[in-house]
Amino acid sequence: MPPLGRSGGADASDRLAGLSDDELVRQFPRLEGALSHALDRRRTLRLLALALASGGLKGCDPGTPDRGFVSAVRAAEGVVPGVPNIYATAHVRDGYAEGILVTHQMGRPIKVEGNPAHPGSRGGTDVMAQALIHDFYDPDRAIGPLHHGMPASWQDLTGAMQRMRSTVMAPRRPDGTRSGTGLRILTGTVTSPTMGRAIAQIMQAYPGAIWHQWDAIGRKHVRQGGMLAYGQAVSVLPDLTQADVVLALDSDLLDSAPGHLAFARDFAMRRNPVRGTMNRLYAVEATPSLTGVAADHRFIASPVMLDEVIGRLSAGLLQDEAPSGGPEWLGPVMRDLRAHRGRAFIHLGPDHPPEVHATVHAMNEALGGRGRVFDVLEPPEYRTPSPVDDLPTLMEDMEDGRVEALLIVDVNPVHQVPRLAAALRHVPTSITLADRPHETAVATNWHVPLAHGMEDWGDARGHDGTVALIQPQAMPLYGGMNALAALHACVGLPLRPAIDMVRATWRDLLPSQRDWHDALATGVIAGTACRSIDALLQPAASRVASPASFPRSAAQPVLLLRPDPYLWDGRGANNPWLQELPRPLSKVVWDNPLLIPPDLARDMKLRNGDVVTLSQGQARARLPVWIQPGQASGCVVGLLGWGRQHAGATGDDVGTDLYPFRDAPGPLRIEVAKETAIPVACTEHHATIIGTAPSEIARHGTLEQFRGNPAFLAGKQEPDASLYRRPPDGPVAWGMSIDLNACIGCNACVTACQVENNIPVVGRDEVLRQREMHWLRIDRFHEGTPDAPDTFFQPMLCMHCEQAPCETVCPVGATTHDSEGLNVMVYNRCIGTKFCSNNCPYKVRRFNYFAFAQHENRPAISRNPDVSVRTRGVMEKCTFCVQRIAQARIATDRDGVAEQVVTACQAACPTRAISFGDIHDPAAEVTRHKASPLSYAALPEQGTYPRVTYEGRIRNRNPDIGS
Amino acid sequence: MTRGVGMDVDVTQGNDPLIYPQETPASLTERVCVATLRPDGGMWAPMWWWMCLGVALLLVGMGAVSVAWLFYAGLGIWGIDWPVAWGFDILNYVWWIAIASGGTFISALFFLLRAPWRTSLNRLAESLTLCAALCAAIFPILHLGRPQFFYWLFPYPNTMGLWAQFRSPLVWDFFAILAYVTCSILFWYFGLLPDLATLRDRAQRRWQQVFYGVLALGFRGSARQWRHYGPVYGVLAALMAPLVVSVHSIVGMDFAGGAATGWHSTEFPPFFVFGAALSGFAIVLLVLLPLRPALGLEPYVTDRHVDVLGRLLLTSSLCVAYAYVMDVFSTFYGPDQADRTMFAFRLHGLYAPVYWGTIILNIVFPQLLWWRAIRLNPAVVWPICLGVLVGMWLERFQIIVTSLAHTQLVSAWGQYTPTVWEWSLLCGTIGLFLTAFLLLVRFIPMLAMAEMRAMLGDGP
Repeated sequence: MPPLGRSGGADASDRLAGLSDDELVRQFPRLEGALSHALDRRRTLRLLALALASGGLKGCDPGTPDRGFVSAVRAAEGVVPGVPNIYATAHVRDGYAEGILVTHQMGRPIKVEGNPAHPGSRGGTDVMAQALIHDFYDPDRAIGPLHHGMPASWQDLTGAMQRMRSTVMAPRRPDGTRSGTGLRILTGTVTSPTMGRAIAQIMQAYPGAIWHQWDAIGRKHVRQGGMLAYGQAVSVLPDLTQADVVLALDSDLLDSAPGHLAFARDFAMRRNPVRGTMNRLYAVEATPSLTGVAADHRFIASPVMLDEVIGRLSAGLLQDEAPSGGPEWLGPVMRDLRAHRGRAFIHLGPDHPPEVHATVHAMNEALGGRGRVFDVLEPPEYRTPSPVDDLPTLMEDMEDGRVEALLIVDVNPVHQVPRLAAALRHVPTSITLADRPHETAVATNWHVPLAHGMEDWGDARGHDGTVALIQPQAMPLYGGMNALAALHACVGLPLRPAIDMVRATWRDLLPSQRDWHDALATGVIAGTACRSIDALLQPAASRVASPASFPRSAAQPVLLLRPDPYLWDGRGANNPWLQELPRPLSKVVWDNPLLIPPDLARDMKLRNGDVVTLSQGQARARLPVWIQPGQASGCVVGLLGWGRQHAGATGDDVGTDLYPFRDAPGPLRIEVAKETAIPVACTEHHATIIGTAPSEIARHGTLEQFRGNPAFLAGKQEPDASLYRRPPDGPVAWGMSIDLNACIGCNACVTACQVENNIPVVGRDEVLRQREMHWLRIDRFHEGTPDAPDTFFQPMLCMHCEQAPCETVCPVGATTHDSEGLNVMVYNRCIGTKFCSNNCPYKVRRFNYFAFAQHENRPAISRNPDVSVRTRGVMEKCTFCVQRIAQARIATDRDGVAEQVVTACQAACPTRAISFGDIHDPAAEVTRHKASPLSYAALPEQGTYPRVTYEGRIRNRNPDIGS
Repeated sequence: MTRGVGMDVDVTQGNDPLIYPQETPASLTERVCVATLRPDGGMWAPMWWWMCLGVALLLVGMGAVSVAWLFYAGLGIWGIDWPVAWGFDILNYVWWIAIASGGTFISALFFLLRAPWRTSLNRLAESLTLCAALCAAIFPILHLGRPQFFYWLFPYPNTMGLWAQFRSPLVWDFFAILAYVTCSILFWYFGLLPDLATLRDRAQRRWQQVFYGVLALGFRGSARQWRHYGPVYGVLAALMAPLVVSVHSIVGMDFAGGAATGWHSTEFPPFFVFGAALSGFAIVLLVLLPLRPALGLEPYVTDRHVDVLGRLLLTSSLCVAYAYVMDVFSTFYGPDQADRTMFAFRLHGLYAPVYWGTIILNIVFPQLLWWRAIRLNPAVVWPICLGVLVGMWLERFQIIVTSLAHTQLVSAWGQYTPTVWEWSLLCGTIGLFLTAFLLLVRFIPMLAMAEMRAMLGDGP
């Protein structure tokens, strides 16, 4: 447990009682007098001086729970300068937890890693978890209560709550209804048993209250589909290690589904033919996703076509009809699924209607994989949201005046459902509990500032139901309240510190203090995974008539709205790491252009950045377009989560808000706007190139070729060792191998590298000037035709060449080789000729054209103290996390054990695509991977002898399907 | 005396004399000294001089603002970026240093070759060399991310225990430029000494006597001084001739030593020497043609000189053409697919006009100089020279920018667009060049009087 005490909850509840202002006057009795006098110049200056001095006091630690101040003469227990402390907690998105470990330096959180003990992480992280650090230190977070968007005092807030309690929650209401009638609580999906219990207590105290659960990017259809298929709320959990054939239909299995990190890990375990038997993944989708790129066969299908495909599939698999009609690949795919009965699995994306989900469940049952490739579990949600409790019902009630008080907890529906702002006017008391002053917070009457997830106690279940404990990693930086305590405080239930509430939930499972501490240390409570249930498939499930998922009109383009992969529903908008992270397929940053298929671009003569007007019903938007190779004809894709109005200094007015289109009726119209093109920042600084020949850089082939000759990808090799080659003379030789079979292009490594190495964000304009700073990037290659290309990802970072071209050209020796084979960069010596960058064939060096680090909107304490922050005019690049190597070297010197180094990118990778270590150690994983017949070096003809090598990608193509 | 050039030829005879027949050593000295000393008072300088200086200073001001903003805001104000990390900075450096070569070729190389026509041109050409080298020397410092540490290139003993990295072509370049500029100044100044002494002796006003007296370093024209002067001048010329080749070879190695596509080529060193010769001769002609009437130099700089320069320009243009052909040949004969892709991009990519502009301005137009009538027609020669200078600039753009924009890795392709700050800096150096040259024209004799007198038969 971090050395924090339990003051989070206590502190906040004091504040809620309105003590703070009084306290100020009590502590500074003369202040009131001073303020009451008319101000002259001297007095003003004196007060300014006081303000300055008390500004310093404000920075003091609020101290121990009993408010005694402890000076730091003796360092806090367990905090040693230079030695990181690591604490487990969890990152929760839409209710589902992903276990994380937070690394602290001198008591400040600086890095997130995956929690190997958590089934939803297994040591890997996704981009959003990596970027948490920036959210935590974000200076735009809530700093105090707001009344109609204006700063207000805690006293006023308390008063308003008392008034609410005296009317809505009066035990005897004048109209005779039950206490709490008219009180509504709106939350996101709740898996947290403690939060669930807290809400249940409210329900109990005020029986008239109603709890609504709603998420902007919901999985409502998935849940309803399970309900239709099994007659009860279920969660269907695949086990991809057991699946030989997977059919992913518009799937988000590897991208963003709850548990996607675990799925990606399982999937990747069966992708390298050198180390096991390969599975086969078919993806059918409208717009390319990570799942589609990872697939052995990617078939493009518009939603209309996908409906047809599912119809024919179900006819074939459920009614044993011979496949007829439909796309030509359908027959072979169906045969393949049938041939792998008991080892085949079909996954459907969350956008499709519940009936289609039910059909897919029925098909999976028919394929006989239950118990092996998938299991049916109790749902991990505290209470499965019912469709009746959903937001439209709430809005109807609001408009009809049936809602007297509304508590919105940690969701931002005003941004995501624009109609809600108007409905809120009918609600006398509306309160938002959120950690930042977002659209909803300023649209409701009151905003109660919550603590960030990393400052708070709590718990949440993962995708499989395993409970992760959430423990604060620091005192609330900006004084936010604990969510549980705030909720109870609002409704006037007795206040208890959040830690006690969490502890009470788990009293039975973790009776002793020691159990509790063990659970906090591992971050999970063992044995809490959801139980498998023997719910039977409803006979009707296979016969459910599936309505058209999408309007079937061939002439009209279909608008598919998808969450942005990094901003998600918009919550990441103020995080510049997420804004500047290239979208995996388009490489676009800082914007959400409308993704259009190549044929539409040809028809409408559109180029990247041309502006179109999009209209549907009342919704209108003007936004640039971006051509997305491999997108289904007739589909345009918009990313949600952009165009925020109250995100913060970074995220306001970036991109276009497409939420108004979600429920807009009527046909979609796309018109070319007359205005000139809007430059769209993209880290691919040239027209998209669709290769015609197999790439020499990101090498790939088929399983058949591999079986014929395992080393068939070796192809072009490095020239024979030259006169100058020298063996490294150090005790170890660091090297890296990246398995392109495992890499799914998720970008977690890129963000991990950015966080670990204090890599600055440069902003949209500088990306447009081609000056982004990522040390590690994921290159994306297309091959084939623009309409249906094959796509390949390749992480590209400093290759630490043994014969490094950068080293010979630096006139001042600022980049040199060390004895362990690292190509090191001496920032202090660099004078900025940039010759090294010109000479780098891999172009992995980045130059500080401006003082980018200085201009970042983040406090200095959020940086990794082990990594220098680079100044203007200096070159920088990947160091193989030399700071981690140094830590390991110290540990070796001290303890005499072999150096174990895990680089930041390697640690973050959910699929374990990256291996790193001493290439002279024959037992090391990296050495074994480098010995793989698939191993090759990029640009071998340059004679650079890179220490980073790749394992070429093998695809398990179905021989019955032509390329 | 061993004055070398032109001693054994009568330069005033024939249909096409190097100096008009009526000219004598006395008339020459008189004319040059009057132009420089202006003993009659009158206008301090001619009107055209003031006008040109005004324009030049305006440009210098522009450059000064650009440099000040650069130092304040950082390299980011330029258009250089991640794949194209060198742009106008290195481009203009290479361009200016090539322009500087003209003076050295004419005055050192042709001194050693005993070409009599060189004597009328050497002072003018060397002055141009100095001014251009001054402009070139600015860029290697400005292009640094941290220009305040430029001296780290110098191998000096320091507490950091660090030394220059001698494998880097930039270090070679640093020394090559340093040696070249130092020797150029020495060569120019040493050649100037007798003329400074002449001016000192003829000066009427006190400040002129002091000014030229100090600069003349006590040169009295004694037989002993002349006896030393001759061999030293010869040695300096013998030093300069290889230096001009080495400096441009090393500039070529800045690229040849790099691994970028289109750079890594062994033909670059001679290629850059050819290019330097072409731009060097072009700048001399470009300046000479208007300056000849303006300073009244017709009797000493005759059509014969213009004709010779035209032929040299044509010759060097043909050399450059050969280099361009070899560039194409080695790219497509060689094994490197990335080089071919880059070259295809050069030929018909975003920067294709740059490539074709280079070819037309450097090779096609100069072919007009095969005809003598055209060589002697300033109205045609002058635009050709201007075109060559622009063409050489485009050639450097092509080598630097086009190559870097399309290196081996497709995912790292990019482009480069110069900003207003890069253009203003280029204008600033043009202004600096003009200002420096105009000052030299005003205060320094533009004809090497002593050498000319020797040629006219008046041995000192």
